[in-house]
Amino acid sequence: MGNRRRAAAFSHATQAVSGPTAETIKTAGRKHSICMVSDFFYPNMGGVESHIYLLSQCLIEKGHKVVVVTHAYGHRKGVRYLTNGLKVYYLPLQVMYNQSTTTTFFHSMPLLRCVFVRERITVVHSHSSFSAMAHDALFHAKTMGLNTVFTDHSLFGFADVSSVLTNKLLTVSLCDTNHIVCVSYTSKENTVLRAALDPEIVSVIPNAVEHGDFTPDPSQRNNDRITIVVISRLVYRKGIDLLSGIIPELCLKHPDLHFLIGGEGPKRLVLEEVREKYQLHDRVRLLGPLEHKDVRGVLVQGHIFLNTSLTEAFCMAIVEGASCGLQVVSTRVGGIPEVLPEDLITLCEPTVQSLCAGLETVIARQRSGSVSTPASVHARVRNLYTWRNVAERTEKVYDRVCGEEVLPLDRRLRRLRTHCGPVAGSIFAFVAVLDFLFLLFLQWWLPDRLMDLAADASGPFGLWRQEASESKSKAPSKRGGQ
Amino acid sequence: MEDEAYTDINGNPISLDCQKHCSFCREFTVSSPKMSIGKVMGYTCAVWLAAYAVFFITANTAVLTGAILFTLLGMMLHIHLVKVDHESVLVIGSLGIQVSSSYASGRETSTFIEMSQVKDVVINEAIYMHQIIYYLCILLKDPSAPDDVSRVVPLFQSSRPRLNCLVKVYKSCQEILSNC
Amino acid sequence: MGPDDGPGAAVAWRKVLWERQPYPDNYVDQRFLEELRRNEGLRQYRYWAVVREAGLVGQQLSCVAIFITLWLYMEQGLLSPGTLLLISLASSLLGYGLYQALASQAEPVLQPRTCWADLQSVTIFLSFIFGFSPVLKTLTESVSTDTVYAMSAVMLLAHLVSFPYTHTSPPGSLSLNAALFASVCLASRLPGALHTFTMLSCALMVFALWPCLLRRVKNGAPHHFAAVCVGVCAAGVGGLASRWPGGAVILALALATVILLCPWLLVQLQRHKDNIHGPWDEAEISEDLSHFLQ
Repeated sequence: MGNRRRAAAFSHATQAVSGPTAETIKTAGRKHSICMVSDFFYPNMGGVESHIYLLSQCLIEKGHKVVVVTHAYGHRKGVRYLTNGLKVYYLPLQVMYNQSTTTTFFHSMPLLRCVFVRERITVVHSHSSFSAMAHDALFHAKTMGLNTVFTDHSLFGFADVSSVLTNKLLTVSLCDTNHIVCVSYTSKENTVLRAALDPEIVSVIPNAVEHGDFTPDPSQRNNDRITIVVISRLVYRKGIDLLSGIIPELCLKHPDLHFLIGGEGPKRLVLEEVREKYQLHDRVRLLGPLEHKDVRGVLVQGHIFLNTSLTEAFCMAIVEGASCGLQVVSTRVGGIPEVLPEDLITLCEPTVQSLCAGLETVIARQRSGSVSTPASVHARVRNLYTWRNVAERTEKVYDRVCGEEVLPLDRRLRRLRTHCGPVAGSIFAFVAVLDFLFLLFLQWWLPDRLMDLAADASGPFGLWRQEASESKSKAPSKRGGQ
Repeated sequence: MEDEAYTDINGNPISLDCQKHCSFCREFTVSSPKMSIGKVMGYTCAVWLAAYAVFFITANTAVLTGAILFTLLGMMLHIHLVKVDHESVLVIGSLGIQVSSSYASGRETSTFIEMSQVKDVVINEAIYMHQIIYYLCILLKDPSAPDDVSRVVPLFQSSRPRLNCLVKVYKSCQEILSNC
Repeated sequence: MGPDDGPGAAVAWRKVLWERQPYPDNYVDQRFLEELRRNEGLRQYRYWAVVREAGLVGQQLSCVAIFITLWLYMEQGLLSPGTLLLISLASSLLGYGLYQALASQAEPVLQPRTCWADLQSVTIFLSFIFGFSPVLKTLTESVSTDTVYAMSAVMLLAHLVSFPYTHTSPPGSLSLNAALFASVCLASRLPGALHTFTMLSCALMVFALWPCLLRRVKNGAPHHFAAVCVGVCAAGVGGLASRWPGGAVILALALATVILLCPWLLVQLQRHKDNIHGPWDEAEISEDLSHFLQ
């Protein structure tokens, strides 16, 4: 009875389509309702954020329903819609450190349950191991009997105490996750070791680059000089200290060499000091923080793209550089050697000497004119990494995950105990039981049947898509939340 | 019209009354159930028992007096300021929208919004306590900047009906708004 | 390629992302984890070498015990401040001579401090302590004795914990301050102002000057270092035994644990060390880049 009423209400709300019941979802082909969870999303900027956004857009294009859950950013809280009906829930959870929320294992449960139920989520896809909310969502989703996928975007060491602890937490968190996605083979090895996983359930799906946004434009270059472009956050992990050694070395040797450095961070001071000391104000330009749309404008001015990172799971910046037709010089760390074919990148050891040697050979090549043209480099790179390809491969992960069984509580507890060691396993098994009891309490306090199902903006019954195809009736009167 | 049973977001039954005064004037009234005597008795008894327990330990009669005054005052304030029996929206095409609510004590408050200020009536989603709910609201515009929303006035704030009820009100409102 | 598509053509798998390979995304190759390295750059410890290093910790523990012994003697009136002052004067002069002698052979310093400068510092310190000792004497009068003892114990412990055992610099400011705080607390419970003055000069000797001398000894005469450590430990245990036998037993046990048992455990547990390295590790900048900025 309750169900029928809800379905009826739904058809009123959507005006155009009848309420999708469980059967219709199945017959609609393998279309999933995916919930992307991460602490990191717009308006925050970075690799994870754009990964989630662009992947979601491609999945929506393929007919899946995607909602994103993140924490509130300042006044941006509530429910918002982005392009193509990508619905974003900004949940009011306390931010602890570096835009990551605190985790108490429980407090995020009521709101996450609300989202999962009202959006009829079938797959929960969490991103980034730094995000507490992502781990919370994996845990609650399992309690609620949903299938889960996790994407790891970063590399971690094993040496110090903090990494031992975070790796233990990751082991627990990924213990019953159905499938894990890593962005490079190195990242896969790292994650498998960190979380003690079966490598069979870890897929490697690289990141992608919007190659349409990164096209070469040789007319922007000043060919009287050679310009080296560096675009990264100016932090220790990006090897800015190495850069501060490279700049004076090379600038003294090559009077026509210029540096163009985009990005902001604590290490900017070091670069400013170097510039001051060697009087390189006209040759080393620090552009400060760049918006995503301005990156291409900076890249096309250069001949060589330099990346000095000390660790990197998958370096999007070098692909962007190559896509703009630049010669790429990079350190040989993390997953970088896997990213570009050898003739498009010069790999060096993370030392000033090796990087200078690498840059010198590229500069010599550039002078002799024996480098391939920007257009040909772009043509080679443009089809290597596309978001459509990423979405296709991710879709297959969802297909596989949807067929899998969610462990019932007793087997979940046994798995936690056997997988995570006797101490941590028992503790988290206890937490899992508490979580389950909390879920029962919530189901009594606010039963599922009292939650109004959300009107789909994307997916097989998406209103926005239908509006677009019918292209006449007024857009549904739904606006961003307060 | 009254064949469908409506509930609020917590599952308590409410009733929706639509009155068509004429083709461009409609009134929607959402009524919550009256305050139940049992509930009032329950709260009162709880406070009094607690007070008696304190009295038993401290032997101070002021506690009992305080408890009696507290319950009486609390009940009065509750029916006067909190408990809303009816909430109604009167939409008059080309004139405006009147939003009024009547409290259990009989007090009534109402505000009137001119049609020139009304941009639209929409259903919106919001995070309310630990759930995500739908609510109906009036979007106001500043006459100087007709494309922007200057303020949002939520409707049925006390009764908080569920989506099926909101959709019904929303559709009727849109019928009138689109005609003027 | 999605997961579990089944391998297609017999093309050798390569660890690259830029090439579409006929393998599923979750394919696990033979070469999976081949770049994994375990226990790289592992240092093999030898037992006696570790014991030697642990000797430094042991002797610092004994130094604290010696200081407490001196205080016990003073407090119970078994040692007059005059005698102690004479003894400390003699031992300081002896230590200073040794310090200078070792300096010449150990490390050629560019600008050695002159004896005159040293004498100036000593005069300033001693006159300040002498001038302030009546004040320090009454400083903690309003605080109960139990509190003073507890505070001293905590501070001495803090001194031991924060003592820079590995660095070659003079005693760290935190450990030195903690030790001096403890000695002020203890000295204020002594009968007279001269007692306080004596106790504080002793504290300076034991906690500030002795570690400097010991460092010289360690660098300049490494063979004698072990003997010095044994001597200090024996003095600590012996001294404490004369006033508080129970304490001496505890100290001896602590010393045995620190010097003999802990190194043994370290060497034994070394076998279970399992440190993983691989291409995912953050690269370390090993060069000194500061010269670019100087």
